[in-house]
Amino acid sequence: MVPQQTESPSLELSALTKLIDSSSASGRPLAATTIQILHNLQHQHLWTSLQIHDISTPSNATGMGNIEGSISTAFDTPPTLISGIPPHRVYTHPDEQLFMLEKGIQEDDLQPERLFVIPTAQGQPWSLRRMAAVFDALPSLESSQREPVISTEATDTVDSEKAKKLDEYYERKGHARVTKEWGTKRVLLAMVNKGMGGEGTVVYYIVQEGEVKPRQN
Amino acid sequence: MDSTPTLPIPISYISGRYLLFSIDAVTYLRREHHICGVLIGTLPQIPQQNVFLGLPLELMPEEARLLVDKGVACIVDEAKAHDGMRSLLEEDRRQYLRELESQGQHAMRILADRKEQQREQTLRKLDEKKAKAQAAEVAKSAAGAEAAASSVPSPAEKDGPNSTLDIFGGDDKPSSPSPATLTNTPTPQQVMGITPATSYPPLPHPASLACELLSKPDVPLSYPVFAHLHSHGYFLSPGLRFGCQYVAYPGDPLRFHSHFLVVSAEWDQEIDIMDIVNGGRLGTGVKKGFLLGGPQKRRDEVDAEADRIDTVRTFSIEWAGM
Repeated sequence: MVPQQTESPSLELSALTKLIDSSSASGRPLAATTIQILHNLQHQHLWTSLQIHDISTPSNATGMGNIEGSISTAFDTPPTLISGIPPHRVYTHPDEQLFMLEKGIQEDDLQPERLFVIPTAQGQPWSLRRMAAVFDALPSLESSQREPVISTEATDTVDSEKAKKLDEYYERKGHARVTKEWGTKRVLLAMVNKGMGGEGTVVYYIVQEGEVKPRQN
Repeated sequence: MDSTPTLPIPISYISGRYLLFSIDAVTYLRREHHICGVLIGTLPQIPQQNVFLGLPLELMPEEARLLVDKGVACIVDEAKAHDGMRSLLEEDRRQYLRELESQGQHAMRILADRKEQQREQTLRKLDEKKAKAQAAEVAKSAAGAEAAASSVPSPAEKDGPNSTLDIFGGDDKPSSPSPATLTNTPTPQQVMGITPATSYPPLPHPASLACELLSKPDVPLSYPVFAHLHSHGYFLSPGLRFGCQYVAYPGDPLRFHSHFLVVSAEWDQEIDIMDIVNGGRLGTGVKKGFLLGGPQKRRDEVDAEADRIDTVRTFSIEWAGM
């Protein structure tokens, strides 16, 4: 029985495991989680221009001095964010959707937007402070990741009316960003089913700061 | 309907519950202060009937606390407040019973009037039908109806409600509580039983007895989130039916569907991400958002609970659908 096992060809490691091994992240569970979720975004959800961002540790923030050592290990690890451009819009605020309907704007007409993702694993400790730290870090990250405006000259000449509507839309959107009418800062919370018996499923949840009314799903 | 009850409204504290017994207070708080509470009263004979519940209204400790903090209400120990009942003078007691009885008679009279009006209306309609059908017998049937109408006093002939009350108050001998008047109404000589929901017409208003007031209600750690959402115009109700702490409505629950399932956590409290997934998925399944929030300060970091309310941050969570 035992000899047979040695002769049979051993199963190959999965592509994902090889990737995690090769990126020398196998020793750091959080880095491995990040890579696994990035891999999922890239190959299952076909996101493009993916990046990994390290944000400053929340332990640097004020008011963390009185946390005991046992908790601080969970909070000290710097949260990592992934950002990328999804092939389709992940979230449209209901009021924004109404405006687009009124103007006859299709989702495909709009410029793709970079979205930030928090990679987490099932069973990982989480808290409101960590969540807030991610949201506090977002503005500086977003400003550093300003997308170069894609030239739309070709479409302008074809359909000037549509371009005018899109200009209206972007103007309205800029206004809504200030008044927070169309939702607030948002990130995607990704949780991977990992560890013993974990099969690597990743689930995604939209998280927005403050009270943002739900979509009429 | 725009009656404003005497402020502060007394909230009855009975065996650990905060209850309201005055319908005026209930409507006022709902209208002006966005506090709905939960109606818990059933019919004593049919306690299984729990679809349409009535008074009293039970308030969450958070709701009671919010109202006390606003100065709109005060907490009254109901058992102590009713010690005064025994010291009530016999004369006052009789007077009060008489008043209740005259109220009952008044209600009975209104009911009889309404019945009478309906009777007359149907009679008139019948007459019209008859008149149309039998042109020959018009004169005869009309005369009959007139005779019927004249034998019954029309409601307009009667005095206003206040004057009738006065009449009965004067006529009635205190020794004979069942009056044998009202001879001209065809209704049976019954007095409607009046059960007042509050006890402070005979007793003084509880808020005037300052010594009886209890301290502010103890609230759970989620109170800052409750107060934060309430200050943003949300109506909050208990979240048991959705497995959360509160359900937040953007307006009166009778007019709006709720927006959020609310769960509160302390700033450094460890949250299982699975709970976020559960809440997010459940909320999205019932067209709501999952709202997770908490104050940035712990209770031992501030002097008063009110200081925590300003530090609340919340996050809305929805399933991303991917």
